[in-house]
Amino acid sequence: MNIWLYGLRTMSRLLAILAVVLLTACAHTVSVDGQFPTPVGNQHPLTVGVYLSDDFRQFTYSENRDDRDEWNINTGRAQKNLFETVLGSMFREAISLSQYPSDLPQGLDLVIVPEVRELQFTMPRETRVNIFEVWIKYDMHAYNQRGDSVAEWVITAYGKTPTAFLKSQEAALAQAINVALRDAGATLYTGFAQVPELQAFIANKQRALSMQEATSDE
Amino acid sequence: MKPLINLAAPLLLAAAALSVGGCTTVVIDEYRRSTGELAVGDSVVILGRRHSSEYETEPDLIDCVGDTLHSPESGVNIIPEQQFVDALYPWFEPRKAPMHIKSLSKLMDIPDVRDRMEQYGVKYIVWIDGSTETTSSAGSIGCSISTAGAGCFGFGTWDKESDYEASVWDFRDQELSGKISADAQGTSYMPAIVVPIPLIARVQNNACKGMAAQLREFLLPPQSASR
Repeated sequence: MNIWLYGLRTMSRLLAILAVVLLTACAHTVSVDGQFPTPVGNQHPLTVGVYLSDDFRQFTYSENRDDRDEWNINTGRAQKNLFETVLGSMFREAISLSQYPSDLPQGLDLVIVPEVRELQFTMPRETRVNIFEVWIKYDMHAYNQRGDSVAEWVITAYGKTPTAFLKSQEAALAQAINVALRDAGATLYTGFAQVPELQAFIANKQRALSMQEATSDE
Repeated sequence: MKPLINLAAPLLLAAAALSVGGCTTVVIDEYRRSTGELAVGDSVVILGRRHSSEYETEPDLIDCVGDTLHSPESGVNIIPEQQFVDALYPWFEPRKAPMHIKSLSKLMDIPDVRDRMEQYGVKYIVWIDGSTETTSSAGSIGCSISTAGAGCFGFGTWDKESDYEASVWDFRDQELSGKISADAQGTSYMPAIVVPIPLIARVQNNACKGMAAQLREFLLPPQSASR
């Protein structure tokens, strides 16, 4: 009897180990850590505070659907690098804020707060095209010094990479995400002054600066 | 020693097959509006179009054309694609890159962008659009392992087609200098008798070489192209 009990226990342990192995075998983890080039172009005459929340800096997209393997995609560090680089070069001065809305430094024209709204991806076997595709959507918020909303706009980014020989799914997806993040940076940089509220805000600031210059010349 | 001798023949066959490869045909067409005017200190940048969601101009094709063309001693200085795209971020990103020469002149209204382009000495921007695809495949190969040994038997074949078009923009004169198209197709074979013997048609590589050779003639002034 003891031999049977011992055998059953061993079998159940082995089955439990096998179940864990099978479950973890289908889980994919991607950690994106890109560096991005500094944009070339004109700077807006604004002093802005940039607040990247902890959720944003450590953003991980997790997906566990029946029709797909489990995926955990961490884009936090890469998108932090991107937004710091792009926003840091877009304005006359950009100050990184460790907290918001309390303890704001004086003299800020705007505070910019990005949030990830959505991340989606497709694999080659799903689309029958030999391309990994990624879409990321950001909600962008701009507030004035008092905390009132100045503008809200959406940035959509798209990235793709062809399947490559001997490249893992994780590596290919990370590459597509980096392409999407570059696209997000490009849209942020080129689209900022096209948001109507921000266009008016920049025009007012420019007018105020030129009046200030004219008064100081007199 | 016997198994080694048995393996030597198929391995030699495989090595010979790799050096022979499958057959490829390449057709190059050219439309020229002006003659090449590359002068000392001028640079050429070769960029891939990546705006379509259905295909992507392969970065390795762009590298191949650039590496084949790059020859400072004969006056062709190529700026690597990634270096150029990073240096002019975000203006040459897939969804932001100028699609027409008119959009390029608009981009030059930004002083920092114009300065950066002049620093690089860019004379020509070559946009390559297209891809290489496997159009059909047939046959099958089966491999098995037993106590007596391992081996593969069967026959496989596949066709590949490359279709690329290069548009040459004269950056200084802000005009389209011409276009070059490269169509290549080839069939690869893989007979397997114990060891698979790949007879690979290097379709993309041949399209690259053909396009690079034509671009060299295109970009250099007539007397220096013959050098």
